Amino acid sequence: MRLTALDEVSERFGLRRGQGLTEARAMFPAIHVMDEDEAADRALIEAIADWCDRYTPLVALDGLDGLFLDITGCAHLFGGEEMLLKDILGRLFQMGFDVNGAISSSPGLSWAASRFGLGGVISHDGIEEALAPLPVNALRLDAMAISSLHKLGLKRIGDLLSMPRAPLARRFGTSLLQRLDQALGLHEEAISPRRPVAALSVERKLADPIQAEEHILQLTGQVASSLKPELEARGVGGRIFELVLFRVDGCVFRISVRASRPLRDPKRISSLFSERLATVHDDLDAGFGFELLRLNVVEHEVFKPSQDDFTGDGQSDASFADFVDKVSARLGANCLQIAELRQSHLPERAESFLSAMAARAVGKNVEEAFAFMPKADRPLRLFRYPEPIEAFAATVPDGPPQRFRWRRIVHRVVRAEGPERISPEWWLDGKDAEERDYFRLESETGRRFWVFREGHYKTGDAAPVWRVQGIFA
Amino acid sequence: MAENATAQERLFALRAQIARLEGKSLPALAAAEQAQAAERPECGKTRIKQPRLPFGIDPLDVALEGGLPLDGITEIRTRSMGDAGAASGFTFALASHLKRRKADGAPVLWIGDVVSRQEAGAPYAPGLGQFGLKPQEVLYAVPRKLDEALWLAETALASRALSATILEIRGNLKNFGLTESRRLNLRTKAAGRPLFLLRHAGEEEASSASFRFLAEPAPATGRRLPDGSVLGGSIGYPVFRLILEKSRNPAPLSFLLEWNPHDRQFSLNSKAGEVFSFHAPPAHSGAGLPASADRQDRAPTLGHIVALERAS
Repeated sequence: MRLTALDEVSERFGLRRGQGLTEARAMFPAIHVMDEDEAADRALIEAIADWCDRYTPLVALDGLDGLFLDITGCAHLFGGEEMLLKDILGRLFQMGFDVNGAISSSPGLSWAASRFGLGGVISHDGIEEALAPLPVNALRLDAMAISSLHKLGLKRIGDLLSMPRAPLARRFGTSLLQRLDQALGLHEEAISPRRPVAALSVERKLADPIQAEEHILQLTGQVASSLKPELEARGVGGRIFELVLFRVDGCVFRISVRASRPLRDPKRISSLFSERLATVHDDLDAGFGFELLRLNVVEHEVFKPSQDDFTGDGQSDASFADFVDKVSARLGANCLQIAELRQSHLPERAESFLSAMAARAVGKNVEEAFAFMPKADRPLRLFRYPEPIEAFAATVPDGPPQRFRWRRIVHRVVRAEGPERISPEWWLDGKDAEERDYFRLESETGRRFWVFREGHYKTGDAAPVWRVQGIFA
Repeated sequence: MAENATAQERLFALRAQIARLEGKSLPALAAAEQAQAAERPECGKTRIKQPRLPFGIDPLDVALEGGLPLDGITEIRTRSMGDAGAASGFTFALASHLKRRKADGAPVLWIGDVVSRQEAGAPYAPGLGQFGLKPQEVLYAVPRKLDEALWLAETALASRALSATILEIRGNLKNFGLTESRRLNLRTKAAGRPLFLLRHAGEEEASSASFRFLAEPAPATGRRLPDGSVLGGSIGYPVFRLILEKSRNPAPLSFLLEWNPHDRQFSLNSKAGEVFSFHAPPAHSGAGLPASADRQDRAPTLGHIVALERAS
């Protein structure tokens, strides 16, 4: 067993990573050791990354012990780069983390400066100056390259900077030069952010943390109304909104809602969130309150402004969309469904369901989608899985039963219509699928059933199975 | 004397308030309205009374005081789950009839019950299409809990975006009592949209529903041939045996109602489809038609059912 991570005290004692546990115990018998838990480490770094969203939407993970923040265009919001770095490090220190940080024009240099240097803000002119005294390990090279560099006495990056490039490339391959160029900012390097950047976002910092749901909603409404001019300027409306709540202790909650048509109206946006908050109520632990509230427009679409006509048709359409949005926000997008007819003769395959919101969003020609309607009578209610029945005294070879038992009740058939023969879909069900003969039966009580016989009566074979698949009105 | 008059006035105000809550017209109020109408006839005409959905059948509409209320709850219950077909058929028929009457493009919302769905099947779009409701006109929702179903019904009514809401429940639920039904009734009053409450296997219970029907299956009519005769042994338009249990009528009304899905209208059916002995072969098997002498009318008389089956 080896040490994988150390706290500040043990580092000061001279323990290092990769050291054997027995060796460390021999040096300091009192050390306290815990098993490594990678999942917990990952959860922690992701939580910190979430928290860092308050500074910039572009946050990328760097292994299990680092974060890249792309603060392009964000620094002025926090009073400049110096202040930003101070703010991040200060807050993380308050939370109990020992963090180093650096701001520079390239991710490579920031990585090097924060892990091996003093950190801080490195100006554009001071790049080489900052890089030169750092060890070659700071270039993110593999172990082989580092050890061969060390063998040649090239221990500092400054040694590499002063050398001609062509022999270096010949000796160590292009990766060394690439890393060097990345650190110098000559070679563009992209970080991969964890979340897509919202098209638009507005936030409100709160001097006094809020806890109550109504305050959150009220603020959401205010924030949404400051979002409206921007949406109007772009001629769009939001389809997916995300409310990000930053709790005082660093915990971040994200709540997203979806609208069936592009939205701008702050009242409707906050009413969607009020439905959503009602359902996530228990999961949303306000703790000591939220100090930052942000509203993102994750997805937007062209907004078609419509004028209400005199008959008020547009109004009812709008209220229907409102209704669908409201229900979807509260009970989930799949709660409201509409049926779509499919081109299949098998009854259970003749319909499929799609969510009302998806159907509206797709906006396809509904008439066309519903064009396929079977000619023969179909039941009003259908069992998804046909239930077996015991059929008595069926007319052989292809007649209806005179009595049948279903759910332990014997029904006496007085009238029957059929058979309607439906062949199996061999391209889906295979060759062995039996064809079905459907009958409409009416029992002496007036109940009407849709039953079928799977297969035929044959001499020698077992009797075919009868099933009930639906009931008529 | 003055005290007495104040008390009278207060009593009258309270009565008027109760009448308003219940959606009924107080005799005095009605008289005042009539006087107003006599003075200004055009005002009386434009004033919309309670919106109603007439069946188009005179004796029934009289018994229902003009039809089913479009701003109230109508309950349809069955005695057992086995009658689910008849009850849901009648409910969907009402919705379809309503859509035809009002030429409303707004969809119908079906709020289903999970257990009923397993017991009696889910509404089937092609079947509904043949029953008079196009698939795109019906929205389905199957909430997991009763609370969600009630919330959904309330939201649907309040939005006024749906032409009718059907709430399917099973049995007499503890969490759906008079309070909840009263709340829903107030919503329907405010929104002017009907709520059809479909209660499978339920007992009669006090509720705010304006009318309550007990639905039972009845033998269907035979298929009509082009020359007007009836194809023997065939199963044609559905017939429901309905008992109007709760209404302003002094006695419960029992009748057989036939639904014509093509014309989307109801008709009274005093004589159910002929029931034959089961020696008769099925209608469509090509085995020939049953002899007419073989048929007999097995429809039970109505008075019999009312006298024996009426529970309360």
